[in-house]
Amino acid sequence: MAARTEHEERVDGSPPVRRRSRHPVAAAVSLFGELLITGGLVLGLFVVYSLWWTNVLADREADKQGNSVRDRWAGGPGALDTRNGIGFLHVPAMENGEVLVKKGTDPKTLNNGIAGYYTDPVESALPSDEQGNFTLAAHRDGHGAKFHNIDKVKTGDAVVFETKDTWYVYKVYAELPETSKFNVDVIAPVPEESGVKKPGRYITLTTCTPVYTSKYRYIVWGELVRTEKVDRDRTKPVELR
Amino acid sequence: MYGWIWRHLPGNTWVRGFLSLVLVLAAVYALFQYVFPWAEPLLPFGDVTVDGEGTGGAETGQ
Repeated sequence: MAARTEHEERVDGSPPVRRRSRHPVAAAVSLFGELLITGGLVLGLFVVYSLWWTNVLADREADKQGNSVRDRWAGGPGALDTRNGIGFLHVPAMENGEVLVKKGTDPKTLNNGIAGYYTDPVESALPSDEQGNFTLAAHRDGHGAKFHNIDKVKTGDAVVFETKDTWYVYKVYAELPETSKFNVDVIAPVPEESGVKKPGRYITLTTCTPVYTSKYRYIVWGELVRTEKVDRDRTKPVELR
Repeated sequence: MYGWIWRHLPGNTWVRGFLSLVLVLAAVYALFQYVFPWAEPLLPFGDVTVDGEGTGGAETGQ
């Protein structure tokens, strides 16, 4: 084995000769080229990471957290639990199943493949409140991409929020395909930009747009149509059947 | 650079090939596990919230 290695090295003995004979400028250009190729590969890997791997991690985490919420609910009706997630958002038009909703919109929360309700800069109302705006944010791409299909949600579509004991059925009445990220009025308790003037029970979905960037924000507004008590079998409201 | 690494790997061509593969996988692992999670919040691709200027949490480039 040792002899063989020695033999290999003697065969490979030629490269040092070639290296010595190479012009320093040629060597520098070659190194520069290799660094460029490396940079390209790293950027390509970053795309793979952003659009695929973060989804894998987030979906895994969201499933885990969602299952633990379902397990806790299985104990029967009870008080609202805000710490571990208050319920699930169903938007049939987005065709993405159910999205766990938790408190807060900081990146650490949203990166787990869930939707968060705003605590800042305007605090969200909860669906159970007499009036107010239930404001949610979730990722458009990567980290579960729960609001990826937000552009498929049109006026008249149903948005259903499921808590432990109630189905809240909202109906979309306005969309705003592009707005500034500084436009905090869209999540006001009475979001006048959507055309409403009176306090009511609203829901607002926010995410980034266009896809793969976060230059602007995409907003969808809905208003509560009715609520349904959750029955023993968790029968879904007609909108979800 | 890659030529230099190749010349300094021990063993015959097969061993070097295997070691190269290990190095590549280690580099990819380090990128996915440490470098990308660090770099991502610094890049403006995943910011989904509306937010007034200067308020905490999600500012530009989340």
